[in-house]
Amino acid sequence: MRSNKDSGWSPYLAGSLTGLVAILSVWIGDKFYGVSTTFSRVAGMIEKYFTPERFTSIEYFTRVAPKIDWQFMFVIGIFLGALISSITSKSFKWVSVPDRWRSRFGSSIIKRAFFAFIGGAVAMFGARLADG
Amino acid sequence: MNMLIYGFITGILFGFLLQKGRVLRYDKQIGALLLQDMTIVKFMFSSIMVAMVGIYILKDMGMVKLDLKPTILGANILGSIIFGLGWGMLGYCPGTQIGALGEGRWDALWGIGGMIVGAALHAEAYPYLKGTVMTWGNYGKITLPDILDVSHWVVIPVFIIFGLIVFLICERKGL
Repeated sequence: MRSNKDSGWSPYLAGSLTGLVAILSVWIGDKFYGVSTTFSRVAGMIEKYFTPERFTSIEYFTRVAPKIDWQFMFVIGIFLGALISSITSKSFKWVSVPDRWRSRFGSSIIKRAFFAFIGGAVAMFGARLADG
Repeated sequence: MNMLIYGFITGILFGFLLQKGRVLRYDKQIGALLLQDMTIVKFMFSSIMVAMVGIYILKDMGMVKLDLKPTILGANILGSIIFGLGWGMLGYCPGTQIGALGEGRWDALWGIGGMIVGAALHAEAYPYLKGTVMTWGNYGKITLPDILDVSHWVVIPVFIIFGLIVFLICERKGL
Protein backbone atom coordinates (compact mmCIF):
# COMPACT_ATOMS: atom_id res chain seq x y z
CA MET A 1 0.00 0.00 0.00
CA ARG A 2 2.01 2.95 -1.23
CA SER A 3 -0.65 5.63 -0.87
CA ASN A 4 -4.15 6.11 0.41
CA LYS A 5 -5.34 6.39 -3.18
CA ASP A 6 -4.75 2.66 -3.55
CA SER A 7 -6.99 1.65 -0.67
CA GLY A 8 -9.86 0.45 -2.86
CA TRP A 9 -13.29 -0.25 -1.38
CA SER A 10 -14.09 -1.34 2.15
CA PRO A 11 -13.64 -5.12 2.36
CA TYR A 12 -17.05 -5.25 4.10
CA LEU A 13 -18.70 -3.59 1.08
CA ALA A 14 -16.81 -5.56 -1.58
CA GLY A 15 -17.33 -8.81 0.38
CA SER A 16 -21.06 -8.21 0.87
CA LEU A 17 -21.53 -7.44 -2.84
CA THR A 18 -19.65 -10.68 -3.60
CA GLY A 19 -22.21 -12.45 -1.42
CA LEU A 20 -25.06 -10.86 -3.43
CA VAL A 21 -23.43 -12.00 -6.67
CA ALA A 22 -23.17 -15.51 -5.19
CA ILE A 23 -26.91 -15.49 -4.37
CA LEU A 24 -27.79 -14.37 -7.90
CA SER A 25 -25.48 -17.02 -9.33
CA VAL A 26 -27.21 -19.78 -7.36
CA TRP A 27 -30.65 -18.37 -8.18
CA ILE A 28 -30.22 -17.73 -11.89
CA GLY A 29 -27.66 -20.34 -12.86
CA ASP A 30 -27.91 -22.89 -10.02
CA LYS A 31 -24.12 -22.56 -9.65
CA PHE A 32 -21.98 -22.13 -6.54
CA TYR A 33 -18.54 -20.47 -6.64
CA GLY A 34 -15.62 -22.80 -7.18
CA VAL A 35 -12.22 -22.74 -8.85
CA SER A 36 -10.09 -25.79 -8.12
CA THR A 37 -11.99 -28.33 -10.28
CA THR A 38 -10.97 -26.25 -13.28
CA PHE A 39 -7.30 -27.01 -12.53
CA SER A 40 -8.06 -30.73 -12.71
CA ARG A 41 -9.87 -30.19 -16.03
CA VAL A 42 -6.95 -28.17 -17.44
CA ALA A 43 -4.46 -30.85 -16.30
CA GLY A 44 -6.67 -33.36 -18.13
CA MET A 45 -6.75 -31.22 -21.29
CA ILE A 46 -2.96 -30.98 -21.33
CA GLU A 47 -2.49 -34.72 -20.77
CA LYS A 48 -5.13 -35.55 -23.38
CA TYR A 49 -3.24 -33.44 -25.93
CA PHE A 50 0.34 -34.46 -25.18
CA THR A 51 0.02 -37.97 -23.73
CA PRO A 52 -3.35 -39.32 -24.93
CA GLU A 53 -2.55 -42.92 -23.93
CA ARG A 54 -1.60 -41.96 -20.43
CA PHE A 55 -4.69 -39.74 -20.24
CA THR A 56 -7.10 -42.59 -20.98
CA SER A 57 -5.49 -44.71 -18.24
CA ILE A 58 -6.26 -42.18 -15.51
CA GLU A 59 -9.57 -42.94 -13.84
CA TYR A 60 -9.99 -39.48 -12.33
CA PHE A 61 -10.36 -37.86 -15.76
CA THR A 62 -13.48 -39.92 -16.40
CA ARG A 63 -14.99 -38.42 -13.22
CA VAL A 64 -13.70 -34.90 -13.85
CA ALA A 65 -13.60 -34.69 -17.64
CA PRO A 66 -11.46 -32.12 -19.49
CA LYS A 67 -14.17 -29.79 -20.77
CA ILE A 68 -15.01 -26.11 -20.77
CA ASP A 69 -17.90 -25.62 -18.36
CA TRP A 70 -19.49 -22.92 -16.17
CA GLN A 71 -16.59 -22.93 -13.72
CA PHE A 72 -13.94 -22.71 -16.44
CA MET A 73 -15.58 -19.54 -17.73
CA PHE A 74 -15.95 -18.29 -14.14
CA VAL A 75 -12.18 -18.59 -13.70
CA ILE A 76 -11.48 -16.73 -16.98
CA GLY A 77 -13.96 -14.08 -15.81
CA ILE A 78 -12.07 -13.55 -12.53
CA PHE A 79 -8.98 -12.63 -14.55
CA LEU A 80 -10.90 -10.18 -16.74
CA GLY A 81 -12.83 -8.66 -13.81
CA ALA A 82 -9.63 -7.96 -11.88
CA LEU A 83 -8.03 -6.54 -15.04
CA ILE A 84 -10.98 -4.19 -15.67
CA SER A 85 -11.13 -3.07 -12.04
CA SER A 86 -7.39 -2.43 -11.72
CA ILE A 87 -7.01 -0.61 -15.03
CA THR A 88 -10.04 1.64 -14.52
CA SER A 89 -8.85 2.55 -11.00
CA LYS A 90 -5.20 2.93 -12.03
CA SER A 91 -4.14 0.25 -9.53
CA PHE A 92 -2.85 -2.18 -12.16
CA LYS A 93 0.82 -2.78 -11.48
CA TRP A 94 3.37 -5.25 -12.89
CA VAL A 95 4.83 -7.11 -9.92
CA SER A 96 7.39 -9.90 -10.28
CA VAL A 97 8.25 -10.28 -6.59
CA PRO A 98 5.74 -9.11 -3.93
CA ASP A 99 6.95 -6.44 -1.47
CA ARG A 100 6.66 -8.63 1.59
CA TRP A 101 8.46 -11.54 -0.08
CA ARG A 102 11.22 -9.17 -1.22
CA SER A 103 11.83 -7.78 2.25
CA ARG A 104 12.08 -11.30 3.71
CA PHE A 105 13.63 -13.41 0.93
CA GLY A 106 15.20 -10.90 -1.46
CA SER A 107 14.40 -9.81 -5.00
CA SER A 108 15.35 -12.96 -6.92
CA ILE A 109 12.61 -13.80 -9.43
CA ILE A 110 13.91 -17.38 -9.70
CA LYS A 111 13.69 -17.96 -5.96
CA ARG A 112 10.14 -16.57 -5.88
CA ALA A 113 9.20 -18.67 -8.93
CA PHE A 114 10.59 -21.86 -7.38
CA PHE A 115 8.71 -21.57 -4.10
CA ALA A 116 5.53 -20.25 -5.70
CA PHE A 117 5.49 -23.19 -8.13
CA ILE A 118 6.06 -25.80 -5.41
CA GLY A 119 3.58 -24.01 -3.15
CA GLY A 120 0.99 -24.03 -5.93
CA ALA A 121 1.47 -27.76 -6.57
CA VAL A 122 1.19 -28.59 -2.87
CA ALA A 123 -1.83 -26.31 -2.36
CA MET A 124 -3.74 -27.75 -5.29
CA PHE A 125 -3.04 -31.36 -4.31
CA GLY A 126 -4.48 -30.56 -0.88
CA ALA A 127 -7.44 -28.65 -2.29
CA ARG A 128 -8.40 -31.51 -4.61
CA LEU A 129 -7.97 -34.09 -1.84
CA ALA A 130 -10.20 -32.06 0.49
CA ASP A 131 -12.59 -31.56 -2.46
CA GLY A 132 -12.77 -27.85 -1.71
CA MET B 1 -24.00 -22.07 -24.02
CA ASN B 2 -26.02 -19.94 -21.60
CA MET B 3 -24.24 -21.55 -18.66
CA LEU B 4 -20.87 -20.56 -20.10
CA ILE B 5 -22.00 -16.95 -20.40
CA TYR B 6 -23.39 -16.97 -16.84
CA GLY B 7 -20.09 -18.35 -15.58
CA PHE B 8 -18.14 -15.71 -17.48
CA ILE B 9 -20.27 -12.80 -16.20
CA THR B 10 -20.26 -14.14 -12.61
CA GLY B 11 -16.48 -14.49 -12.79
CA ILE B 12 -16.05 -10.92 -14.08
CA LEU B 13 -18.15 -9.56 -11.20
CA PHE B 14 -16.28 -11.71 -8.67
CA GLY B 15 -12.86 -10.71 -10.01
CA PHE B 16 -13.90 -7.04 -10.10
CA LEU B 17 -14.99 -7.14 -6.44
CA LEU B 18 -11.92 -9.12 -5.33
CA GLN B 19 -9.76 -6.42 -6.87
CA LYS B 20 -11.83 -3.60 -5.32
CA GLY B 21 -11.51 -5.30 -1.92
CA ARG B 22 -7.72 -5.43 -2.40
CA VAL B 23 -7.60 -9.09 -1.42
CA LEU B 24 -5.66 -10.34 -4.46
CA ARG B 25 -2.25 -9.48 -3.07
CA TYR B 26 0.45 -11.69 -1.66
CA ASP B 27 1.04 -9.22 1.18
CA LYS B 28 -2.66 -9.34 2.15
CA GLN B 29 -2.83 -13.15 2.01
CA ILE B 30 0.31 -13.65 4.10
CA GLY B 31 -0.91 -10.87 6.42
CA ALA B 32 -4.12 -12.84 7.01
CA LEU B 33 -2.24 -16.09 7.65
CA LEU B 34 -0.08 -14.28 10.22
CA LEU B 35 -3.20 -12.62 11.75
CA GLN B 36 -1.65 -9.21 11.06
CA ASP B 37 -3.98 -7.91 8.34
CA MET B 38 -7.56 -9.13 8.45
CA THR B 39 -8.76 -7.57 5.17
CA ILE B 40 -9.33 -11.00 3.65
CA VAL B 41 -11.15 -12.29 6.73
CA LYS B 42 -13.46 -9.25 6.65
CA PHE B 43 -14.11 -9.81 2.94
CA MET B 44 -14.77 -13.55 3.28
CA PHE B 45 -16.98 -13.30 6.36
CA SER B 46 -19.03 -10.45 4.83
CA SER B 47 -19.53 -12.51 1.71
CA ILE B 48 -20.54 -15.67 3.61
CA MET B 49 -22.87 -13.80 5.97
CA VAL B 50 -24.78 -12.21 3.07
CA ALA B 51 -24.80 -15.30 0.84
CA MET B 52 -25.93 -17.74 3.55
CA VAL B 53 -29.03 -15.65 4.34
CA GLY B 54 -30.01 -15.17 0.70
CA ILE B 55 -29.37 -18.75 -0.36
CA TYR B 56 -31.28 -20.24 2.59
CA ILE B 57 -34.24 -17.90 1.92
CA LEU B 58 -34.29 -19.12 -1.68
CA LYS B 59 -33.97 -22.70 -0.45
CA ASP B 60 -36.91 -22.28 1.92
CA MET B 61 -38.93 -20.93 -1.00
CA GLY B 62 -38.02 -24.05 -2.95
CA MET B 63 -36.21 -22.03 -5.60
CA VAL B 64 -32.70 -23.46 -5.18
CA LYS B 65 -31.04 -26.66 -3.99
CA LEU B 66 -27.85 -26.81 -1.96
CA ASP B 67 -24.87 -28.42 -3.68
CA LEU B 68 -23.22 -30.22 -0.75
CA LYS B 69 -19.84 -31.90 -0.83
CA PRO B 70 -19.50 -34.99 1.35
CA THR B 71 -17.84 -34.55 4.74
CA ILE B 72 -14.92 -37.01 4.81
CA LEU B 73 -12.79 -36.19 7.85
CA GLY B 74 -9.64 -37.92 6.55
CA ALA B 75 -9.68 -36.22 3.16
CA ASN B 76 -10.94 -32.87 4.48
CA ILE B 77 -8.46 -32.55 7.35
CA LEU B 78 -5.40 -33.93 5.58
CA GLY B 79 -6.26 -32.04 2.39
CA SER B 80 -6.73 -28.75 4.20
CA ILE B 81 -3.43 -29.07 6.07
CA ILE B 82 -1.62 -29.76 2.77
CA PHE B 83 -3.50 -26.87 1.15
CA GLY B 84 -2.47 -24.54 3.97
CA LEU B 85 1.21 -25.46 3.62
CA GLY B 86 1.10 -24.66 -0.10
CA TRP B 87 -0.96 -21.49 0.40
CA GLY B 88 1.64 -20.16 2.84
CA MET B 89 4.45 -20.82 0.35
CA LEU B 90 2.64 -19.36 -2.66
CA GLY B 91 0.73 -16.56 -0.95
CA TYR B 92 -2.25 -16.90 -3.30
CA CYS B 93 -5.19 -19.28 -3.31
CA PRO B 94 -6.51 -20.87 -6.53
CA GLY B 95 -9.02 -18.12 -7.34
CA THR B 96 -7.08 -15.11 -6.12
CA GLN B 97 -3.98 -15.91 -8.13
CA ILE B 98 -6.07 -15.69 -11.32
CA GLY B 99 -7.24 -12.25 -10.19
CA ALA B 100 -3.72 -11.31 -9.07
CA LEU B 101 -2.52 -12.00 -12.61
CA GLY B 102 -5.29 -9.69 -13.91
CA GLU B 103 -3.93 -6.98 -11.60
CA GLY B 104 -0.43 -7.35 -13.06
CA ARG B 105 1.07 -9.55 -10.34
CA TRP B 106 2.63 -11.97 -12.73
CA ASP B 107 4.36 -14.07 -10.08
CA ALA B 108 0.89 -15.67 -9.94
CA LEU B 109 1.87 -17.47 -13.17
CA TRP B 110 4.24 -19.72 -11.21
CA GLY B 111 1.44 -20.62 -8.86
CA ILE B 112 -0.94 -21.35 -11.74
CA GLY B 113 1.65 -23.65 -13.35
CA GLY B 114 2.30 -25.36 -10.03
CA MET B 115 -1.41 -25.84 -9.47
CA ILE B 116 -1.91 -27.54 -12.82
CA VAL B 117 0.92 -29.93 -11.85
CA GLY B 118 -0.63 -30.41 -8.40
CA ALA B 119 -3.99 -31.25 -9.98
CA ALA B 120 -2.27 -33.77 -12.30
CA LEU B 121 -0.49 -35.39 -9.33
CA HIS B 122 -3.80 -35.62 -7.50
CA ALA B 123 -5.37 -37.36 -10.51
CA GLU B 124 -2.44 -39.83 -10.49
CA ALA B 125 -2.81 -40.47 -6.76
CA TYR B 126 -6.61 -40.69 -6.88
CA PRO B 127 -6.87 -44.52 -7.01
CA TYR B 128 -4.77 -44.76 -3.81
CA LEU B 129 -6.51 -41.87 -2.07
CA LYS B 130 -9.91 -43.35 -2.89
CA GLY B 131 -9.12 -46.54 -1.00
CA THR B 132 -7.47 -44.87 2.01
CA VAL B 133 -7.89 -41.28 3.26
CA MET B 134 -11.13 -40.84 1.32
CA THR B 135 -12.75 -43.61 3.38
CA TRP B 136 -11.69 -42.31 6.80
CA GLY B 137 -14.61 -40.72 8.65
CA ASN B 138 -17.06 -40.43 5.77
CA TYR B 139 -20.24 -38.76 7.06
CA GLY B 140 -21.78 -38.10 3.65
CA LYS B 141 -23.55 -34.89 2.66
CA ILE B 142 -24.28 -33.27 6.01
CA THR B 143 -24.74 -29.69 7.22
CA LEU B 144 -24.30 -28.07 10.65
CA PRO B 145 -28.09 -27.75 11.15
CA ASP B 146 -28.38 -31.52 10.40
CA ILE B 147 -25.75 -32.49 12.99
CA LEU B 148 -27.14 -30.15 15.65
CA ASP B 149 -30.70 -31.09 14.71
CA VAL B 150 -31.84 -27.47 14.71
CA SER B 151 -33.31 -25.15 12.09
CA HIS B 152 -30.78 -23.37 9.85
CA TRP B 153 -32.39 -20.15 11.17
CA VAL B 154 -30.71 -20.95 14.50
CA VAL B 155 -27.26 -21.60 13.01
CA ILE B 156 -27.29 -18.60 10.67
CA PRO B 157 -27.86 -15.87 13.33
CA VAL B 158 -25.24 -17.50 15.58
CA PHE B 159 -22.73 -17.43 12.71
CA ILE B 160 -23.59 -13.80 11.94
CA ILE B 161 -23.14 -12.76 15.59
CA PHE B 162 -19.82 -14.61 15.64
CA GLY B 163 -18.77 -12.80 12.46
CA LEU B 164 -19.76 -9.40 13.85
CA ILE B 165 -17.72 -10.07 17.00
CA VAL B 166 -14.73 -10.95 14.82
CA PHE B 167 -15.22 -7.67 12.90
CA LEU B 168 -15.43 -5.72 16.16
CA ILE B 169 -12.19 -7.26 17.45
CA CYS B 170 -10.43 -6.58 14.12
CA GLU B 171 -11.52 -2.91 14.15
CA ARG B 172 -10.63 -2.42 17.83
CA LYS B 173 -7.16 -3.82 17.24
CA GLY B 174 -6.77 -1.95 13.96
CA LEU B 175 -6.12 -5.10 11.94
